[in-house]
Amino acid sequence: MSGETVLRVKDLYKRYGDRIVLKGVSFEIRKAEVKAIMGPSGTGKTTLLKCIDMLVKPDSGRIWLEDLELTDPRIDIGEARKKIGFVFQEFNLFHHLTAIKNVMIGLTKVKKLPKDEARTIAERALLKVHIERELWDKYPAQLSGGQKQRVAIARALAMEPMIMLYDEPTSALDPQLTGEVLEVIKELAEDGMTSLIVTHEVGFASEIADEIMIMMDGKIIERGDPRKVIHNPRREETRRFFSKILKIGDESR
Amino acid sequence: MSFWEEFLSKLSFGTLITLQLLTVTIPLSVILGILIGILRVYGGRIGKTLANLYVYIFRGFPLLVTLMIMFFGLADIGIRLTPYWAAALAIIICSSAYQSEYVKMSILSIDEGQSLAAKSLGMKRSTEIFYIILPQALRVALPGIGNEIIYMILYSSLAYIVGVNEIFSAAISVNSIWFKPTEVFLVTALIYLAMTTMASYGLKKLEHRLWIPGFETRRKS
Repeated sequence: MSGETVLRVKDLYKRYGDRIVLKGVSFEIRKAEVKAIMGPSGTGKTTLLKCIDMLVKPDSGRIWLEDLELTDPRIDIGEARKKIGFVFQEFNLFHHLTAIKNVMIGLTKVKKLPKDEARTIAERALLKVHIERELWDKYPAQLSGGQKQRVAIARALAMEPMIMLYDEPTSALDPQLTGEVLEVIKELAEDGMTSLIVTHEVGFASEIADEIMIMMDGKIIERGDPRKVIHNPRREETRRFFSKILKIGDESR
Repeated sequence: MSFWEEFLSKLSFGTLITLQLLTVTIPLSVILGILIGILRVYGGRIGKTLANLYVYIFRGFPLLVTLMIMFFGLADIGIRLTPYWAAALAIIICSSAYQSEYVKMSILSIDEGQSLAAKSLGMKRSTEIFYIILPQALRVALPGIGNEIIYMILYSSLAYIVGVNEIFSAAISVNSIWFKPTEVFLVTALIYLAMTTMASYGLKKLEHRLWIPGFETRRKS
């Protein structure tokens, strides 16, 4: 748990029209740490992740990636984004490129690596997420949801990011496909990949995360050790949130 | 010279001129149409305004009128174009305005996630446009662009009005001497039909070559 801070978010605010989505969010992640963000839908979790990658500009507050201030308008944001891996809920694979080309394009067009070197790195990244050779030349439409999301993880991973941001990585998947994706995320985390994960998978979060942050109404209302937050929360809202999603989980079984 | 001798020799010369006109107007209008389409989406305030104005004007003028302006209007202010280049210019301007519409719509049809994913990898705007958005958008726009190419083949006949010796003007001049409209215009029509058939075939081939699994179904989801 020790080690230098990779990401620091301080007092982040974001509003859309007259709806305030983020109301002063602050936290830090150290190297190799895994943090999960949980909470009801529409409470700003996705907006928070997008703000960190500056895909959405926060209204106020500051974000640092190590010593680099991402919220400083003078920095080259493209340079900074290279170091942040983003995994989307809807995968967002490039539809016109095969699996391996999806992974290579960031390496050749952003990092300007020669093609053969990019290919080697891409192959390694794909194997790491258990996408075997026979799938490398398939187009996204020819892959299952779980395979798509793993290719998307490989695409982010190949850029050698300092941190991975996962935005509900299994929410768009059929239940029987979530396992293969969660397994990959877990393996990467165990290898020391610093990760920030927005998820609704309680079991997964409690198993993998060093800390769970509960977000409600644009604020982090509770944070701490997963077991404690899930089973013995300080706040009544947190207790109600977990009892609701755990009950739904039981019924579906 | 018999009717058929004169007709066929004039017609084959006319066909050559038409093909010459099309080899210039088709590629240039497609390229210009794509550029204007890009400008209409990504051009910033000034670029967008200028490109929209261009489309507003030349989609609002009949091609015939644009053609007159290019030939007679420009001559009035001292720019003398040959009939051939006046016709080529008018067709390019008019068709590119239409084509930019297909390009613009297809760019806007690409879902936001593609752009977000490109940005999250650290791509610059230009890299994102040229390597992620356009390869997808142009596939979507291809049938529309193909349709415009077919129109261009047909509307190239308007060039006769400023004195280009293309197929239609050959037909008119033969008919005025021999007065055999049935034969003359039937054969003329068949030549246009042959050209559009070849173009359709080529476009089908191209669509087939650029086809990517699931590309159309993707847009429904």
